[in-house]
Amino acid sequence: MSAERRGPLLIVGALVASLVLVGAYLAAGGASYTPAQAQDPCEPREWRDPGSLSEIAQQFSLSALDGAACELGVTREALARALASPEARERFSERYGIDEMKLAEAIRAGLVRAVDDAEEAGALPPIVAGPVRGFVKEIPLDQAIELVRDASSLLGDPTSILGGAGELLDPAEEILEGLLEP
Amino acid sequence: MSAADPRPRVAALALAVGIVLADSSIVVLALPEIYRELDTSVAGVTWVLVSFNLVMALAAVPAALVARRFGPGRTAAIGLAVFAGAGLACGLAEELSTLIAARCVQALGGAAAVTAALELLPATVGSERRATAIWAGAGATGAALGPAVGGVLTELVSGQSIFLIQVPISLAAAVPILAVAKHEAATGIVAAELRRPGRPHLAANVALAMVSAAIAAALFLLVLLLIEGWRMTPIGAALVVTAMPLFAVLGSRFSGLVPDARARAAAGAILVAGGLAGLALLPKATIVLTLPPQALVGVGLSLVLSALTETALHGRAPQAIHGGWTIASRHAGVVIGLLALTPIFTADIATQREQAIEAGTAVILDSQVPPLLKLELAQRIEERLEGEKGRVPTLGPAFDPLPEDESERAQVVVLRDELEEQLDRGATHAFSPSFLLAALMGLLALIPIGLARRVDL
Repeated sequence: MSAERRGPLLIVGALVASLVLVGAYLAAGGASYTPAQAQDPCEPREWRDPGSLSEIAQQFSLSALDGAACELGVTREALARALASPEARERFSERYGIDEMKLAEAIRAGLVRAVDDAEEAGALPPIVAGPVRGFVKEIPLDQAIELVRDASSLLGDPTSILGGAGELLDPAEEILEGLLEP
Repeated sequence: MSAADPRPRVAALALAVGIVLADSSIVVLALPEIYRELDTSVAGVTWVLVSFNLVMALAAVPAALVARRFGPGRTAAIGLAVFAGAGLACGLAEELSTLIAARCVQALGGAAAVTAALELLPATVGSERRATAIWAGAGATGAALGPAVGGVLTELVSGQSIFLIQVPISLAAAVPILAVAKHEAATGIVAAELRRPGRPHLAANVALAMVSAAIAAALFLLVLLLIEGWRMTPIGAALVVTAMPLFAVLGSRFSGLVPDARARAAAGAILVAGGLAGLALLPKATIVLTLPPQALVGVGLSLVLSALTETALHGRAPQAIHGGWTIASRHAGVVIGLLALTPIFTADIATQREQAIEAGTAVILDSQVPPLLKLELAQRIEERLEGEKGRVPTLGPAFDPLPEDESERAQVVVLRDELEEQLDRGATHAFSPSFLLAALMGLLALIPIGLARRVDL
């Protein structure tokens, strides 16, 4: 081949090599290799078909986190990490400018949403949901956080948490146990 | 070895050019370590690179004038001595400001050595064209090998050892040049050599600046992606980026086959841009997938840098001054590339880090592991995030020790892998806009290349 023709050929070769690479990487998903987007906590999240108390407790916690995060205008994930320890909570408060009172209100609102969601999903009978809703509206912050972390005590034995008022729920508890049986 | 044997002097001059031009990129792999050791920011540590390249850009042409007035031998020897002394100061620096100041002095010495070397080479090898090829080749090799050498030294010794190792090497390069300096002292400078220099080749120098910006970005961003994004060790990253100079060696073989320098420059710029676009579109955080883009950038850089340097120097005298212009253009390009891209990827990496952590936490929350284990994991992740502020964290250890229960352990392993995947996605995506911008810089170099007159070499 003449030296004269090698120049244009080199340019064409470079173009082809570049386009093949870019095309191959695009076809392999190069443009969509991004982290998953966190879901908007204000959007309703569908409950998985609950098969056991621990699954109901899990979904109750996630609903509560969604509700509280929605109230605070943060993601559910950021709030979950904040509730992991008192130090994490402090850092969260500093970062987002959220004081303890606002946090407590939001978590209580989140718990109410969790009760609503549980009732709607058929995981909590209305006769139980009413008093539980009333109870979580007044609950202190630390206890509210404990409930978000693990709601199995509340859902497994509401009377233990609701005290004297809970005795009214004995028939409801039987219904709940019946619902949870496989 | 006879007294007339020019090889030791040619080797010394090539070594001097190589080590000085390697210095613009050799610290790239040490930057993450310097960043942590000196407790600074990504933007702050970028100035370790920027300061050197900025002073090189500003000092190259004046240094060439000094070399012509006071003798290239003396200038090269003094330049190498200054470069070595400042390298020692860099190696011993305990504060970022001291390090940056020493880097500026190092660049002054480097500019003197490199431009004087181009003045010395034609007489030493007996051919101006061969001298230009050796000078450009040594520079391209040094710049391409720099990151790999820096990474190995950072891992095996320390980040600042890369400055200390330059001291004996640059002094060794200075020894054969001293004979020329002594000869100059004895005979004086020939007046005819002090003729007025012609105008620099504008198109070739502008193209050099643009393509250098793209290449610097390729090296700098890829190293940061590997170490800061994919959490690799410096030596691992050094091995990966070694692919680029290896492909550059391969690309240099094409140079001899195609005499049309403009065609080589255009093909090189297209390959650099294509490789950078490939790095911007990585479909997975896997080392193997960085190799094809590195191949394109490596072959491209060897084609474009040598073709443009040869074009800028072709038929122009004095060589040192025009070589000074090419050095100034290349380093100005590196500075422009780093300054333009640093704020973009610094902001992007912070955003993507947050998004990746959110996505990872979502994976944990939506998993089927027991609630208390979820919370424990969330707590451990939070602690690691706190310990690695501003960086993409290594979250693997947050999952240790794994639960004893077999099914729980299997679930946690899946979770850990999914979380790491999200971090990889976040880090890789964070670099995409910067790689794309760098690719655009490479493509824009085609404009001045197209405007340049054809030169057959």
